[in-house]
Amino acid sequence: MKVGVIKAYLKKEFIDLWRSKMIIMVYLIPAMIVILFGYGIRMEVIHSRTVIIDRDDTKLSHEIIRAFSTTKYFDAKVLNITDNEALKLIKQNKADLFIIIPHNFEKNLMHSSDSEIAVYIDGSFPLRATTLEGYVQGVFLNLLEKNGVKVPFKINQRNFFNESMRDENGIVPGLIGLTMLIAPAIIAALLIVKEKEVGTIFNFYSSPVSKIEFLIAKLIPPFVLYSLNTFILFLIAVYIFKVPFKGSFLLYFLASEIYIAISIGIGLLVSIITSRQVTALVLTVLITVIPGFLYSGILMPISSMTGESYIEAHLFPVMYYNHLLYDAFLIAQGFNSPKNVEYFFILIFYAIALLFIGSLLLKKELK
Amino acid sequence: MLEVRNVTVKYGNIVGVRNVSFKANSGEIIGFIGADGAGKSSTMHAIAGVKRFEGEIVFNGYAYHSPKEAEKIKPYLSLMPQGLGLVLYDNLSVKEHFEFFRNIRGVKKDIDYETRLLKMAGLYEFQDRLAGHLSGGMRQKLSLILALLPRPKLLILDEPTTGVDPISRKELWEIVDEFRKKEGIIALISTAYMQEAEKMDKLLLFDEGEVIAKGNAKELKESIKDYTYEGEIEREDCFSFNNRTYCLKPLNLKKAPPLLEGVFFVNALKKGKKNLKINLEEKDVKLPEVVVKAVGLTKKFGNFIADDHIDLELKSGEILGLLGANGAGKTTFIKMLLGLYPIDEGELYLLGKRIKSYEDRLELKSKIGYMSQRFALYEEMSVKENMEYFAKMHDLSPKETKEKIEYFSTLFGFKKYLNDFPKDLPLGINQRFSLSVALLHEPVVLFLDEPTSGVDTIARATFWRFLREIKEKWKISILITTHYMSEAEYCDRVVVLKRGKKIVDEEVKKLHEKFPGLSFEEIFIKYYEESG
Repeated sequence: MKVGVIKAYLKKEFIDLWRSKMIIMVYLIPAMIVILFGYGIRMEVIHSRTVIIDRDDTKLSHEIIRAFSTTKYFDAKVLNITDNEALKLIKQNKADLFIIIPHNFEKNLMHSSDSEIAVYIDGSFPLRATTLEGYVQGVFLNLLEKNGVKVPFKINQRNFFNESMRDENGIVPGLIGLTMLIAPAIIAALLIVKEKEVGTIFNFYSSPVSKIEFLIAKLIPPFVLYSLNTFILFLIAVYIFKVPFKGSFLLYFLASEIYIAISIGIGLLVSIITSRQVTALVLTVLITVIPGFLYSGILMPISSMTGESYIEAHLFPVMYYNHLLYDAFLIAQGFNSPKNVEYFFILIFYAIALLFIGSLLLKKELK
Repeated sequence: MLEVRNVTVKYGNIVGVRNVSFKANSGEIIGFIGADGAGKSSTMHAIAGVKRFEGEIVFNGYAYHSPKEAEKIKPYLSLMPQGLGLVLYDNLSVKEHFEFFRNIRGVKKDIDYETRLLKMAGLYEFQDRLAGHLSGGMRQKLSLILALLPRPKLLILDEPTTGVDPISRKELWEIVDEFRKKEGIIALISTAYMQEAEKMDKLLLFDEGEVIAKGNAKELKESIKDYTYEGEIEREDCFSFNNRTYCLKPLNLKKAPPLLEGVFFVNALKKGKKNLKINLEEKDVKLPEVVVKAVGLTKKFGNFIADDHIDLELKSGEILGLLGANGAGKTTFIKMLLGLYPIDEGELYLLGKRIKSYEDRLELKSKIGYMSQRFALYEEMSVKENMEYFAKMHDLSPKETKEKIEYFSTLFGFKKYLNDFPKDLPLGINQRFSLSVALLHEPVVLFLDEPTSGVDTIARATFWRFLREIKEKWKISILITTHYMSEAEYCDRVVVLKRGKKIVDEEVKKLHEKFPGLSFEEIFIKYYEESG
């Protein structure tokens, strides 16, 4: 291995990245993904448009109305309309749910237990509907208790790790995992495929430059550039999105470095099977974005996946990195948790395997 | 010493080149002559160790059979692949290229040597310029001196002069020639220009993936002297081109000194190939004296002026050659005539009428037949489907379409390929079928953009005969661009562009009278030098 060759190639790569303005892409795109998605994805359901039809007009019914009016989850409106008119409001997407308090509701409740309240929820978004259902039940449960209705047990609920239940805390670390899978892979693939497309690859093919020298020279730039990105994305998460960082920065940094190596390995494999930059770009985005998003745990916890999706989630490295990311940001178990240690080594295995296969498949000759 | 023994190169199931064998001594230039796809590049790639091959190659006593084994000779070889400055990085300056190549080739900095190379290539003053801002000829010269930087013992140049302006071409040759003598290197050079063949010590003639003849230019010409006659005749068992007729049977004609391209004709005759009969019916068309007239046509791309106030007249019944190196502005000019590019300045007249509005342009298009560079055919459709598609674009009825396909495929001899895909066919067939596509709607003017580039000698000869016939019998005026200066010979008049400016506009006959005894190549170099 000749250091001079590697240095010459590296210098050329950095000059080219700078003058071709690709460097902007290297730093702008990851930050953009995290910021756009970070503001864009919201799982929480708030300000649901709620219509309450109060046909009882008693102290209890007023209390119900007050309960729904004083929380950020509901924007309650009291209307005196028929059931059908209420239904129409949902159909026209002017309301998300309506609640009907029937005539004699309080009286019935006091004298017998046979009393019903009708709640109608727009089910076109199942996730939102089930969330709303839970909210509504919670409000009523609280009310009943306050009014001396005996509930056989008491729920003392507390959320761990994300105590304030902020969406950002759950989503932003996941987005770092997504970005760091896509972006380094793209740059790594493009750096090699560009030479193939233009023809400069002949400088490698027909010269004494060895495969290992070429690989090192091609993979170091994306690695170094994206290592800096781990800091930038960290700062975005902590200062822009106010995600708490409770765990070890060392774990975050080490895991990220290995993860970048994995991403670069994917880029290398793409560069071997493609010869045009456009194809390489599309292919890299396809094979990184889909698993990066689906199996990252952003949308759905891996533990609640079953069958094929569970297996697929375990096949892609995203899951392992995201687990470590969430640990670093929210849980702070670090290497004390055997699972974290296990996942850390799984990531190392992925990185080595991908880069090894890539360097075996890279040929110093025309196809 | 380089010895190539039975080398075969395959791309999957397709054979790029079969059983090539030859020997080369140090100080020799070996020329590879042939059309695109004839096997020149494949052979070069095998020797340079960048492509897998069957057979054996021995260089200075070391035998190799694969790219892996060829690693050992890579310190001693330089390869310059086909294409203008392919090995250059657009964002690196000339100086940075030297630094990069010096380091990857592990050469010590030798200021005297590098200065000499830069001066030879005329790049000494441009060391800080980015490669992306160099002209085609400069890029090619830079690639060449970079290839010479590690002082290779084996220099492999794949079409270094194709599309390069005549002066740069001359300079490229001077550089190679000097090095061959001083450093005693073996140079393998492929070229599409026959006249360059004379400069080689030994020639390999490639055709359809095989070497059909070996030897120096003199020997090769000598070998066909019995079959070469003066003048042109129309016979099925003879080929005529360039005022020569090649025939295996004795003819009652005067013998003529043979030309190198004749080897390809004689080889084709020996293989039993027949000359395509061309006989068109006379058409009576009345056209004004001047068919197309351009006054001061100008096209700018940002700061770059692609065409700078060009005047041009295409007269009725003439073949006008628009010549120039890559980047001289030929294609841009044709695209303006076609209405594909808006005209920045100047006026355009077709059949005496000024072309201004969109409607004018539509009318213009219905009168022009256009054959674009690299033919622009649909690869996924068969020849017949392609023709049907273009016929529909020109509003031909199904009946007319059928008749035309039948007529042209018979006339141009591609009837048996009607159901094949263009990508599986030789360039020469695609060329003729593209010509028929351009003629489908019976235009009065024909614009042909680099129709002969990369096409083999025989197909090229046939093509030019077709053009002459079309001109004479159908009275179609033809504007043709080419970077083969020698093809000016077959035009009635030539216009030469140099970096967007017109430097020659003259009848071919008159050029010959003005410069008796000079070849077109030499005539144009004179004009090039004059224009500065």
